Amino acid sequence: MNSNTMYAQYREFCEIACKRRVIFYYVGYFSQSIISAMADAVKMGVEHIGAAGQTRRRLFSSFVEMAQNIVHYSADALTPEDRNDREMRHGSVCIGIHGEKYFLICANPIKTEMAEQLRATLEPLRTMTIDEIKAAYKKMLQSDAPDGSKGAGLGLLTMARDASEPLEFDFAPSREAGITMFYLKATI
Amino acid sequence: MENLYISATPSSPEVDFRFTENVLSLRGESYPENAAAFYSGIISSLNEYLDGEVRPQAITLNVELTYFNSSSTKMLFTLFGTLNDRAADGADVTVNWYRHEDDDTMREFGQDLQDDFSAMKFHEHAIADD
Repeated sequence: MNSNTMYAQYREFCEIACKRRVIFYYVGYFSQSIISAMADAVKMGVEHIGAAGQTRRRLFSSFVEMAQNIVHYSADALTPEDRNDREMRHGSVCIGIHGEKYFLICANPIKTEMAEQLRATLEPLRTMTIDEIKAAYKKMLQSDAPDGSKGAGLGLLTMARDASEPLEFDFAPSREAGITMFYLKATI
Repeated sequence: MENLYISATPSSPEVDFRFTENVLSLRGESYPENAAAFYSGIISSLNEYLDGEVRPQAITLNVELTYFNSSSTKMLFTLFGTLNDRAADGADVTVNWYRHEDDDTMREFGQDLQDDFSAMKFHEHAIADD
């Protein structure tokens, strides 16, 4: 490949990102130290584009919840399944601007049998009012974490609380048997 | 009882629990990978202090956390509950709650804490946004 072609291909990639108003994108393995470094980059990035304080904090909060969900739950792990510290798991996260609002999208593979459980958790959140979300959040805070949670069962409720529109989600088949791709979008 | 000091990291707060002075402080951001592991050691030190030979009568908790993730929230709730139980038993427990003045999430969380843990005295301090 000559250097002109390489430049042209990279320029094409950058132009698409620019057109879609992508301000942050990462695909690869997620670990706690990678998340900390990205959190710094996200913080600087949203400050640089002049987002209001409350918007910045909500973007940051949703970013951390999404990234930590990938570290804890992605089906593509470099570290053993039963380990719950210094985990490394694969996924992607993107922050962009659409109209007057910011959005975050994350994607990671999950075991196909997890899809229904996720749908059952996410679907009701889409029709809840902000007051209902806050009440559900408070109830979860006062109760024991659900089975299978590595946190407090509060991550999705936290994202729903910080978002200005219902959380969106989707599943797509993967080439690997028993694996489904999970997509989650939060609009701030 | 020895004091507990843990330096801040990019994703965990500074923990400065001066048991000898009855002043406990948390400062920074809290989103460790495993919040349960991070806070359970802190909470067990706190319990040891509360159940020590000299039962503390007046305790101050300073919370200057600019951000905590969902699993840290759960652990902080447990920590507040522990102190509130002692306050209900007659100790004088004061919480200084620092938050950015325009941070509605922290303001509401502070409000919820006051409602849920009413045995403690709660002082809110709004700091100017940077």
